[in-house]
Amino acid sequence: MTQDLRYSALKKTPFHSRTSLASRTNKYYNWNGYTVPTEYSTTELEYTAARNGTSVMDLTPMGKYEIIGDHAHQFVDYLVTRDLSKMKDNTVAYIIWCNEDGKVIDDGTIFKFSSTKFMLCCAVKIYNWLNDSAYGFDVTITDVTDTIAALAIQGPTSCSTLKKFGATDLETLKPFEMREYNIDGFDILISRTGFTGDLGYELWTDPKNAEMTWDNIEIAGKELKLRPFGMYALEMTRIEAGFIQTNTDFMAAEDSLRPTRMRSPYEIGMGWLVHLNKNSYFVGKKALKKEKEENTTERCLVGLDIDGDKPAHGSVIYNSKKEDIGIVTAALWSPIMKKNIALASLKRPYGIKIKENIFAEIYHPEELEYRKIWARCKVVKRQFFNPERRNKVPADLYE
Amino acid sequence: MPGNLSFDAIIIGGGHNGLVCANVLARKNKRVLICEARKECGGMVNNDITNYVPPVTSAVSSSIGGMQINYIPKTTIALSETGQHIRLVGNQHIDHKSISTFSSHDADRFNDFHEKMSKFSKTLGSFMMSSPPRIMNNSFSDYFKLFKLGLNVRLLGKKNFNEFARMIGLNIADELEDNFENTLLQGLIAHDSVIGSNLGPRSPGSLINLLYRMAIHNNSLFGGIFQIEGGNDQFTKHLIEKCKSNNVEIKTSASVKNCIIENDCAVGVELNNGEKMYAKKIISNADPRSTYFSLLGSQNLDTDVKRKIKHHRSKGRVAKLILELDKLPSFNNCDDNDLDSRMVVAPSIDYIEETFNPSKFDKLSLEPTLEICVKKDSDQNPKLDIKVQYAPYKTHQGWENIKESYVKSIIRIISKYAPNINECIERKKLLTPDDIESEYNVSGGHWHHGEIQIDQLFMMRPIPGASQYKTHLDGLFMCGAGTHPGGGLTGISGKNAAKAVLDDF
Repeated sequence: MTQDLRYSALKKTPFHSRTSLASRTNKYYNWNGYTVPTEYSTTELEYTAARNGTSVMDLTPMGKYEIIGDHAHQFVDYLVTRDLSKMKDNTVAYIIWCNEDGKVIDDGTIFKFSSTKFMLCCAVKIYNWLNDSAYGFDVTITDVTDTIAALAIQGPTSCSTLKKFGATDLETLKPFEMREYNIDGFDILISRTGFTGDLGYELWTDPKNAEMTWDNIEIAGKELKLRPFGMYALEMTRIEAGFIQTNTDFMAAEDSLRPTRMRSPYEIGMGWLVHLNKNSYFVGKKALKKEKEENTTERCLVGLDIDGDKPAHGSVIYNSKKEDIGIVTAALWSPIMKKNIALASLKRPYGIKIKENIFAEIYHPEELEYRKIWARCKVVKRQFFNPERRNKVPADLYE
Repeated sequence: MPGNLSFDAIIIGGGHNGLVCANVLARKNKRVLICEARKECGGMVNNDITNYVPPVTSAVSSSIGGMQINYIPKTTIALSETGQHIRLVGNQHIDHKSISTFSSHDADRFNDFHEKMSKFSKTLGSFMMSSPPRIMNNSFSDYFKLFKLGLNVRLLGKKNFNEFARMIGLNIADELEDNFENTLLQGLIAHDSVIGSNLGPRSPGSLINLLYRMAIHNNSLFGGIFQIEGGNDQFTKHLIEKCKSNNVEIKTSASVKNCIIENDCAVGVELNNGEKMYAKKIISNADPRSTYFSLLGSQNLDTDVKRKIKHHRSKGRVAKLILELDKLPSFNNCDDNDLDSRMVVAPSIDYIEETFNPSKFDKLSLEPTLEICVKKDSDQNPKLDIKVQYAPYKTHQGWENIKESYVKSIIRIISKYAPNINECIERKKLLTPDDIESEYNVSGGHWHHGEIQIDQLFMMRPIPGASQYKTHLDGLFMCGAGTHPGGGLTGISGKNAAKAVLDDF
């Protein structure tokens, strides 16, 4: 998309003409150099659509990188901690990748088209990292952030909306699978992935199809409680789903200035994505192996169920002796769970062996005064919200 | 572990460091195999490449049970077009006398300069003989070693300490121009500061290069330069004989394709012909780039390690011209004794800097600096072995297209000092850095397997995190000139690497 950079340092996404029309608040933020809405009307309404109807979000600013070449599969397997050697074509995998010290750089999703073509999606820009890592592999890496328009279609009625939009048999698509469609002459890739922890899909298409796609989806979802939603509502849903956010729940290893702030996968609850028994080497394997063998993991990222109804934003967590044992990285009163929940980074053994007698010190603002609340917390599974419909095949359909 | 584990260690490459390393290990009752890609061992220590050598230290010599070779000290002559050559032997009185025929001021200054440089090179040298500290593993002994270097420097006294600190990043040209008025003397010392490196005399850091060179040459500017009786390849022959008596097995024409890695540990090597051999430890005598990218393989390296190796500076700038002669040419104002000396063509600092400049842009200078050595081939015919600097690693026109004119221009320079050179030449052979790369399997064709500059010295040699002769792969070590203390035919890298390997058994 061409635009006059003299007037706007931030780029507009291919959906901007539509998102700006839908926005009643004119609230935007800078995501990877693009301007995208934080909320369209009210966050609560958008959240409700995501949990009860269909929500639509402009995902275009997400970092998207195409990896093509004879060694593409080998390279992707080398880049990430997860064993992807048996990954099938037309599937998607959730992944993290580390630096040489075994500290997490970012998380994301990898799309496999064939053993010679992949696409990597992540929140931040990592072209240099990919390129430097690819030295010695026969692959070409292209930043396709600007050349692929992306939409997230999430919520219980999302499958029905997309079926009406023209995606036939979409209900048979399994979680973490993708399928190419030709709808009204447009090539659109649909993957059953998302960041809300609910039934949901992501659409990938050429920017020139963007506006038409938005319009047609809006029409298809008219009777299915469709609503565009912004970053604030997404933040609510992702905390309920227990998904982590780079530079919020942990510092990206390449971004943190202080070495002690870097986190290994084991420290952010991503140990399940580390396959040390993978046959080939992967970046950070040596350091991670050492950490595992010597049991030097210092922290953990857990879910907290907190007494009361005041969200524990940025709260310090204490043990019963009032010793500082960690910090809340994300918190929220969950409307759907009717619970006061939070993600917290704790010093081990708290959160792993010691799950009781943990307290959050909450400062609740009340008209220029803080009410200090000493709330008891329970360590729980990070995945607070995980409805059956999320992984159901065939997916639920509504009229 | 598969295969038959008949060796304790396999050394990839039989350069002099590999041979020293093998002997040290074998003397500790280790079964050692050397796999050498070429037809014979010795690497770049042979009569084609090597002109002069520093003496082997007693520590290296005793670690392999003594070396029975005779070193012949060599005089250095700075050739002058006017015939007013400067002859230096490394003896204070003789050199003073020699320089004072040109300038009594310079002669006095030379002694002071030499004394100061010698003191600093000794300080550096004390640090060079042992394994460097490893800065990335937070161990007490490593910090202690670093502290000791700091202490040694501090113990030089406040005045010297300040002077040392001033000199670390200094260029040699400034220092020489401050001290001497004779441009030929300036040129000679500047030549020895930048020899084998990618620096010009006015490049920052060229002075530490000279200190480094002095540290392996008896802490002397011109006193520690030798040839080996019977030819420099006697050095290799001697080491190979030692290997035989120590039951080291040597396989020549055995080019290693890659390391065999199992459970993230090096367990053996695979040859280009598919043959596989296994051992408890694998030691690479290859340069760091080849070791990491070819033997270890970039698919087994962390991204940051790749970045560091990619940044590793190892492009050679020295070519070698060998002129086979039917008779010796007569050099102006030189006697037979002089012809047996090391003759340097580097008339001034500006001359060197000007020949350095085009090489920065991968272009050729047709007036390079030369170090000429008269040798005899196996049939007792004379030949001139000439080190030519700066010859870029790659040239825009392509070496093949300009080799001939380059050789002509070198001979034209020599003819200024030896007018009848053209009549004497029978055959010419030019080895450019990329010839050296392909012939001797050295990335970049660099003599020292990597620049000897402050960012690639001590615990940063070859790259941070890989010092102390270990690589990033367990079980794989390095013993070549790319490791601390580096090139210069000292065998220290080989000896220290062997110790690191023995500590790991």
